[in-house]
Amino acid sequence: MRNWLTIAMLLSLCAPALSIADTAPSDHSKYVQHVEQGFVLTFQGNNKEAISEFEAALAIAPEHAEILHYLGMAYAQEELLNKAVERYQRSLALMPDNIEALYSLGVAYFKLDKWAAAIAPLQRVVALDPQHARGYEMLGKSLVRLRRYAEAVPVLERALALKPHAAGTYYELGNAYLNLKEYPKAIENFKQAIAFGSARYADPHFGLGTAYLRLGDREKSRAEMQIFQQYQKEYAEYERLTRLTRNEPNNLEAWTGLASLLMQQKNYGRAVQVFQKCIELDPNNAIFYHGLSRAFMNLNYPRPAIEAANKAIRLMPNEAILYNTLGSLYAMQGDSRNAIVAFQKAIELNSEEPFYHLNLSRLYQGIGNQKLAQEHHRIYEYLMSKQK
Amino acid sequence: MNISCRNKNSRFRIVCTLIFSLGLCFDALAAEPELILVPAGTFTMGSERRAADERPMHKVYLDAYYIGKYEVTNAEYHEFWKIQSEGNTPDQIPQHTPENFLHLPHIGEWPARAERFPNHPVVGISWHDAAAYAAWKGMRLPTEAEWEKAARGYTNRIWPWGGAMEAHANTAEAKDGYENRIAPVGSFPKGKSYYGALDMAGNVWEWTADWYSDVYYAYSSQAAAKRPKKNPTGPVVGSWRVLRGGSWIDTLTRCSTTFRFYLYPNLKTAFVGFRLAKTAEKSEK
Repeated sequence: MRNWLTIAMLLSLCAPALSIADTAPSDHSKYVQHVEQGFVLTFQGNNKEAISEFEAALAIAPEHAEILHYLGMAYAQEELLNKAVERYQRSLALMPDNIEALYSLGVAYFKLDKWAAAIAPLQRVVALDPQHARGYEMLGKSLVRLRRYAEAVPVLERALALKPHAAGTYYELGNAYLNLKEYPKAIENFKQAIAFGSARYADPHFGLGTAYLRLGDREKSRAEMQIFQQYQKEYAEYERLTRLTRNEPNNLEAWTGLASLLMQQKNYGRAVQVFQKCIELDPNNAIFYHGLSRAFMNLNYPRPAIEAANKAIRLMPNEAILYNTLGSLYAMQGDSRNAIVAFQKAIELNSEEPFYHLNLSRLYQGIGNQKLAQEHHRIYEYLMSKQK
Repeated sequence: MNISCRNKNSRFRIVCTLIFSLGLCFDALAAEPELILVPAGTFTMGSERRAADERPMHKVYLDAYYIGKYEVTNAEYHEFWKIQSEGNTPDQIPQHTPENFLHLPHIGEWPARAERFPNHPVVGISWHDAAAYAAWKGMRLPTEAEWEKAARGYTNRIWPWGGAMEAHANTAEAKDGYENRIAPVGSFPKGKSYYGALDMAGNVWEWTADWYSDVYYAYSSQAAAKRPKKNPTGPVVGSWRVLRGGSWIDTLTRCSTTFRFYLYPNLKTAFVGFRLAKTAEKSEK
């Protein structure tokens, strides 16, 4: 009897599994599978294969506004903008007031330099969602390209009211004012673009240079133009190294150059990936672990940063700067005890570096040890004066 | 239990009893959801150093509320679904039926999976399904702010358990015994959040009540520059609803307490579920 019951129970538990295995996938389940795969591939950044999956899903169920929009976005990621536009239009035919699909359509038109075509969907975006900062921003940019500067100004200002630190929007607003011959306002906005932009953002310097020139300040104009040229060169170098690493994925020199450039540009997220690639190619190089640690530190991920710093120290135990980094990381975490030990070790290895003393002084100050704080601060000042 | 069997009738009775008791066990799994009280107060929302839509970090005040300790399970959702099915003919698909994932055997077909995997989080449900279930339970979906506070508390935890990168969560990268599949809720006790909620990182993304806007933090925190924003409920309109927490198909980075994701509300995927929330009574605050 017990056996009979056990078999019955087992069968009842297995029944759903058997029914799944025995059922040939219906069109709908194939559709579900393609959509799921499409999403997973999108998350992995594999847009090419995601496109195939979404296309396959839509071949089964063509009237799916959302999937059409996702497909369009995947095409746009692959710079296949005409295909993206076509999918967005099909999506919007099914769901005409879909704010994000309208926005995507506007962006695609903008990127295709069809600025006039971008206006209507973007105007619809901000009408449907008056707080859609990206919509205002893209609409303003399109108006600037169409030389409708006076119309662009309030639109871009609205975008900035919603998203106050958007460097690109300040830059566009600067351009609008520059063309409206309102140079002081142009300068103000280009300066904001520089303040909020990524490090070494070239274009606003060109705008500033032009505005100063039109105001007759040749010296300031020349200085800005020089910065612009320098940053342009760096950007070209970034492009070159990116291309090189793509074509020659084992070129360590190119990866190293790219990592260093990314750190200069404060693009720490990408720098982490590039340092990890360097470590993959050369696992016994302390410099790469140190770089990785610095990048994590700037991203405010102290734990992996400490891990990377310790690996660097294991490979190069007599390098003072590594202990300084480690000390800074412990300090970031509020672990004063380990931070002090690390800074002391850095000083033991290189007592002539003023900043190691400054770091230690600050730490002692933080824990209330005024005597040692003052002592290290004095050494710091002394070493700095010697350097001068 | 000593089962003896003398004739066909008693055999029948035993089978009936067994089926009934299995049913009871199944229902017992779908007992009232365990809720955690999150006290009223101000916390810091967002992050300055990660994705742009997480900026700016800003203060938010929330009244006291309850949040589900676990994601809603298949067994729990099944109770609701059964009620939706009442009176339907066999060929009628009840409202709020979860999607089937025949290509993913660890999820499979509904309602069979509710019995096979009663403690797995329910997936394949749209935002509307999740909201309907919550309303049926006399509760609601958490707002984005409520979700984040429940995950990080008054701390700046990157993940619910803290800053350590070891994954106490079911993610795509972790060798955690649940590679490429969903885990039963509560499988990662070390991953508990500041307030003790589980699976707030990984396993399944969780629908929140809010519409998504990439600049909502920027303009809502401006309005509240001098004092914390009080009980924010997200933008008034939108296309996408916010999802939080990451899932079994995501990297650990996407499972942070501040990472914001979004989907169309009517999509039903194998990586999205939800947890419940409820406003606390005044006496509980």
